[in-house]
Amino acid sequence: MRFQNAAQDGRAIVYAGIQADPLVARAASLLADAGYPERVLARAAMNGQTLDPGAWRTMFPTLFGPDADDGARARAEAVLAVSLEVAGRGEEARSQFRGAIVEALTERLLGQRVPATAVQRERRILFDGVPTEIHPYDVTVEVPGAAEAYDCKWGARGIGADVLNQLDDARRHAADEGEHLVAVIVIFDAARTCQTRLARQTAPRNGLRMVTLETLDRMAGVSRVT
Amino acid sequence: MAPTVDAVLLRAIASLSVLASTASTVEDEWQYVSDLVTVWSGTLRAVGATRAGQSAPPGAETAIDRLAAEAASISDPHRAMDWLSTLPLVALVAVGDAPR
Repeated sequence: MRFQNAAQDGRAIVYAGIQADPLVARAASLLADAGYPERVLARAAMNGQTLDPGAWRTMFPTLFGPDADDGARARAEAVLAVSLEVAGRGEEARSQFRGAIVEALTERLLGQRVPATAVQRERRILFDGVPTEIHPYDVTVEVPGAAEAYDCKWGARGIGADVLNQLDDARRHAADEGEHLVAVIVIFDAARTCQTRLARQTAPRNGLRMVTLETLDRMAGVSRVT
Repeated sequence: MAPTVDAVLLRAIASLSVLASTASTVEDEWQYVSDLVTVWSGTLRAVGATRAGQSAPPGAETAIDRLAAEAASISDPHRAMDWLSTLPLVALVAVGDAPR
């Protein structure tokens, strides 16, 4: 089993521009330090209808109400501002930004648990005698004997047979070579929704790990739900 | 008199139906939409039943009303589908409930 940079086709080059946008890094940084309520705020505002910050403050009284302390309120204001900036990029762009933010957030959280140099983006995993998958993995942890492959999604609707099959194939091919590969799907959505989506899927998911909005911090080695 | 947790969550459940109606135009996802409404309505009802009669936290009633208005303003069926998962989370945060 070995890792390789993905080839840069036209779509990848365009998407790389989104991934490199400073807005993505800023959002990922804020969300890495955020608690569960701020992450729910980001999920709502990044794909909401209104761009009025006052409306979002009204919807989240525990973050912006009189009982919120100054530090928590400041963090929530920063998350709200970056989320509305994403939402303001327009319908097509915001979808791409959201995906890129989940990937960047995954990279940051993993970097808190393993050496940052072991965390890579857009990599293919190659196995002897096995055709290369078309789509690269969003994030990989490349530690000998403890490799991890991550596919990142904004919502549970992104859980499909193609994703499940690719992760399962990688895990099985690694085992065939006597290697251990942890296959993970990260979804910036509620666990209950993801389980609902998975319940109607027939693709294999044995050994697949799922990280959801409630459990993002586990990637950083933290088991709490904040 | 302050509204109760179960009363404000009933308003959130009503908003799920509004979102489902908008999202149902995506033909190949009707089952998923139906599943989400069933699962999240049940979850919100269960929280409401557990906390029946408890006063809602300050701001929760206004939050749910504004949340309902946001849901009603969504016309894109794909966004409405996404919000079938988002709205219950916001409602639960508003009433100070733990992640479910």
